[in-house]
Amino acid sequence: MFQLSAEGKQKVLNELKRYESKQSAVLPALYIAQKENKGHVNAEVIKELSKVMEISEAHINEVCTFYTMYNKQPIGTHHIQVCRTLSCMLNGAKELSEHICSELNVHLGDKTTDGKFTVTEVECLGSCGTAPMMQIGDKYYENLTNESAMNIIRSLK
Amino acid sequence: MPKCTINGVELEVKEGTTIIQAMYDNHQKIAHYCWHPGLSIAGVCRLCMVEIEGNPRLQIACNTVVTEGMKVNNNSPKVKEAVKWGLDFHLINHPLDCPICDQAGECGLQEQYMEFGQYNSEMAEAKTKKHKVVDLGPTVVLDSERCVLCSRCVRFTDEVSKTNELGIFNRGDHAEIGTHAGKELNNKYSLNTVDICPVGALTSKDFRFRQRVWYLKDSEAVCNGCSTGCNVKVYFNKEGVFRVKPKRNDAINGHWMCDDGRNIYKFVNKENRQLKGMKLANGQWTVDLHAGSVAKDAAQVLKAASSDDTALVLTGQHTVEEYESIVSAFVNQFKTKNVYHWWNSEKTASDFDGLLIRGDKNPNTKGLQTVLAKHGVQTQWSQLESALNSGKIKNLVVVGPENVGVYNDLAEKQNLFAKAHNFIFLTAAKADVLKENKSFKNVFVIPTKTFVEKAGTFVNHAGVAQQFKKVTTIVSEALTVSEAATLLVGQDIKVDIVADQDLFNAENKRADQVALDHRKKNEFIFQRGRL
Amino acid sequence: MSEVKYLTEFYHLPEFKTLDGYKKNGGYKELEKALKMQPQAIIDEVKNSGLRGRGGAGFSTGMKWGFLPKNNEPRYLLCNADEGEPGTFKDRMMMERAPHQLVEGMIISGFAIGSKKSYIYVRGEYDASIASLETAIQEAYKAGYLGQNILGSGFDHDMDVYRGAGAYICGEETGMISSLEGSKGQPKLKPPFPAVQGYLKKPTIVNNVETLAAVKYVMRDGAQGYRKYGTEKSAGTKLFSLSGNVVKPGNYEVPLAYPLKDMIFNLGGGIKNGKKLKAVIPGGSSAPVLTADEAMKATLDYECMAQMGTMLGSGAIIVIDDSKCMVECLANLTHFYHHESCGQCTPCREGTGWVDKITHSILSGKGRMQDIELLLKVADNMKGKTICALSDAAALPVISFVTKFRDEFEYFVREGKSKVKGTAYKGHSHAQMHH
Repeated sequence: MFQLSAEGKQKVLNELKRYESKQSAVLPALYIAQKENKGHVNAEVIKELSKVMEISEAHINEVCTFYTMYNKQPIGTHHIQVCRTLSCMLNGAKELSEHICSELNVHLGDKTTDGKFTVTEVECLGSCGTAPMMQIGDKYYENLTNESAMNIIRSLK
Repeated sequence: MPKCTINGVELEVKEGTTIIQAMYDNHQKIAHYCWHPGLSIAGVCRLCMVEIEGNPRLQIACNTVVTEGMKVNNNSPKVKEAVKWGLDFHLINHPLDCPICDQAGECGLQEQYMEFGQYNSEMAEAKTKKHKVVDLGPTVVLDSERCVLCSRCVRFTDEVSKTNELGIFNRGDHAEIGTHAGKELNNKYSLNTVDICPVGALTSKDFRFRQRVWYLKDSEAVCNGCSTGCNVKVYFNKEGVFRVKPKRNDAINGHWMCDDGRNIYKFVNKENRQLKGMKLANGQWTVDLHAGSVAKDAAQVLKAASSDDTALVLTGQHTVEEYESIVSAFVNQFKTKNVYHWWNSEKTASDFDGLLIRGDKNPNTKGLQTVLAKHGVQTQWSQLESALNSGKIKNLVVVGPENVGVYNDLAEKQNLFAKAHNFIFLTAAKADVLKENKSFKNVFVIPTKTFVEKAGTFVNHAGVAQQFKKVTTIVSEALTVSEAATLLVGQDIKVDIVADQDLFNAENKRADQVALDHRKKNEFIFQRGRL
Repeated sequence: MSEVKYLTEFYHLPEFKTLDGYKKNGGYKELEKALKMQPQAIIDEVKNSGLRGRGGAGFSTGMKWGFLPKNNEPRYLLCNADEGEPGTFKDRMMMERAPHQLVEGMIISGFAIGSKKSYIYVRGEYDASIASLETAIQEAYKAGYLGQNILGSGFDHDMDVYRGAGAYICGEETGMISSLEGSKGQPKLKPPFPAVQGYLKKPTIVNNVETLAAVKYVMRDGAQGYRKYGTEKSAGTKLFSLSGNVVKPGNYEVPLAYPLKDMIFNLGGGIKNGKKLKAVIPGGSSAPVLTADEAMKATLDYECMAQMGTMLGSGAIIVIDDSKCMVECLANLTHFYHHESCGQCTPCREGTGWVDKITHSILSGKGRMQDIELLLKVADNMKGKTICALSDAAALPVISFVTKFRDEFEYFVREGKSKVKGTAYKGHSHAQMHH
């Protein structure tokens, strides 16, 4: 049973008062809950948020399933998101993504066996001038080569 | 009051009316899925395209307000091409489920395809797969592949039932209707979502696989589930009634009805009915008697009775006309004012859930009260109880409720009624349970007709009188309360004998119903069992 | 013509990001000036400057502001920092390097339209931008540029940042409003337009980051001063995001009507790895593609782009060299739109999926010759019928790629491999990408 920590609950309650409308707090609240639930949102998380925010579960689930940054499945400690859209593709993003997957011995979308990494391909991250690039967690890593990408990844704990 | 021209027809409409509302009110055809007069505007299906003079782009009719002098049409080649493509987009991922889908025969996609389609699909790619046969709750089944994402059901649970169980999850063409994580679509109005779903995505568990809709006729009636008196359409054929759907009445029930009301058809069908008369005399039950003969025997008993020891019990489940005939029979012929109102839901009568359901589970309490007042009847139920207990009442006529599901005090009342020496019971529902009660002495059971089998008037909680016509006959031998009353006072009634095999067609000759002669090949109901 | 540093004059200074560094270089002077003017005068000045929306639609900013009701009804100013159009990365640079520029531009704009509350809706992936903006806003509150009675003018204004969660459709103004209201980012029916009924059914103005930042410069130089760059109909400067197969990709600020060939070969340093130019997408992936010949003749302004059947859009210039397969490029874009369609209206929801499937069929060597005409037909019927322009945006690349590079598509269908690369497509299959 997922339950928000006292601190997390307070954060959510603060968000409810922060915007012009109480419902605007749904997006920030999902981020807060996701952080406390090891990086993903599941049915338990939504039930808890629904209780705390007094907003229907169906609505919160609609928001969760609509946006890509809420992970619906458990992910590895580090979420490696390689941009796949046109400018990056023109600069070798596909090859980079395949290289990372084969080096980490994982399929796209799956977790590595040691649980450290999940690799996914995502749409344009707004870093087209420094392609190819990837986002790990909240940070951007740009102007990558196969080698520099793997160095960064291997340096992560 | 702006004037406009739609498809060459000049119309004057109220300020703020949308084009689609104007077309709907004036019986003009326009393709649409997501618009519904009882829900907010969504504008997502993009089918209700119209051409407005002076505007190079086609507009959707549901979100465009009529302005003075507007010239609109939806029959130009440009519009037809747009609608054809709109329909094509709806169909490219739609599964080929017609042979097993309940909605066939009343399906929005089928209708629009015959109207605007009739093309060969060019979709050669694999269709998107979604969840099928999802159990949404106690009443509804979802088939996501068939869903056209019109969002009517979601808007319904948000705006009308206000229960917020449904949502549309995921983005793009992975979008699906659903409830969250096993939460049920479980509210008292859930089956309205099945009505408003234009395709077979939401189907009723109760009706699923039971009958093809082109083997059903429909007729209007007034629901007898409670004192709201929602207007309904009853769907039936030779085998009986299959389902009940709401009929729009802006003054009474809007576009909706409650789930309880949908079950009223169950007690009118043969399997739950008292089909023939029965008698108990000298400890022996005689069954399979003709209704008329039992009534005549009862008439003899009443003739010999005195006005003091005779009483009549009525419930609020019958028509004003029936009350009039039986109450006047008792007051004028039997010269007794011992008429009692069996009102099981008196205490909860003023309950109201804010939408449609009321606490008085009788459709015509007001009608009964009016008739009783008219004949100067002023009695209390407690008086009947003491009169029966003291043995003062020897001859008791009870016109029993037909919607026995809402009468949970039946058993307790039986023991009370058994105190009478002669118990004359007019009932539509099966009365076999009486046989188990050994306290009865003399019983006359007369089968009566249900509300769909007679014309009449119900007066609802607000005093609105609603007249309805006969829908069909299910038990031909049963009597209406008026006919029984006539027999009980010793008079005769005229009976038209129609052979059983001709009964259905003789009764249901409405011009707009299709002839069901071709049904001869399919004489049986498709009992596929229930989910 | 050359590159200019108009909005970007001080972007090379790391301190420009801070309040002190910003103030040292002219920061908040225009706010002081604006607060002493009449709001309507500011709106007129912006209208006369010819400033057009820099996010993609190119609508006259002053005219948009003029649609607001002229009463005291509360209204909102929303800054669209969702920047999802593939190829665009200019707003990110502006928010990371010059957050105060945007804040000042927004306070001035808020004053002009009479709005007491504004939000900056930033896409969820732009973590650095969000941090940068939140810090700047805090500094601004502390210094009295936000809050009550700003600089003693009697004008109150509150500003907050709202984080998106990953949806391109939230870059559409009503999609953004829906998202800000705490729902799915699904665009709303228009009419009513946001200026009449927007966020929480109140009058709302939605403007792009660059547009709002430019307002400060209209204040500084006046309408005529702003018009010293650009043309009559395309006034001012614009930031263009150059990417793809060029030597020096990046953000470049140039006066409007700057020649596209100079952007690619001067500022961009030409095509890298010794390849030749084959195609250019001039305004973000939703803009119809130009062939190399067309690109050499084009100037970067609204009229020329429209005349050539494409659009200036967000100003994202994606350069494609002659070693790239156009079928593969189109498949990349159809996948994008298929993934990003919100799913509300049927032509877009089903159409984006259909063209994606057909293009990938061709790409995997299983295409049929009639698929090429079918692509054109389906795309054509996705246009002009939907709630928002995503459907049109998805259709335009399909039509332009297939029309202008038809030979590559026909080759792929006939031979099952790329005309340019000579090999079959080796990559994740369509099924793998849609888990």
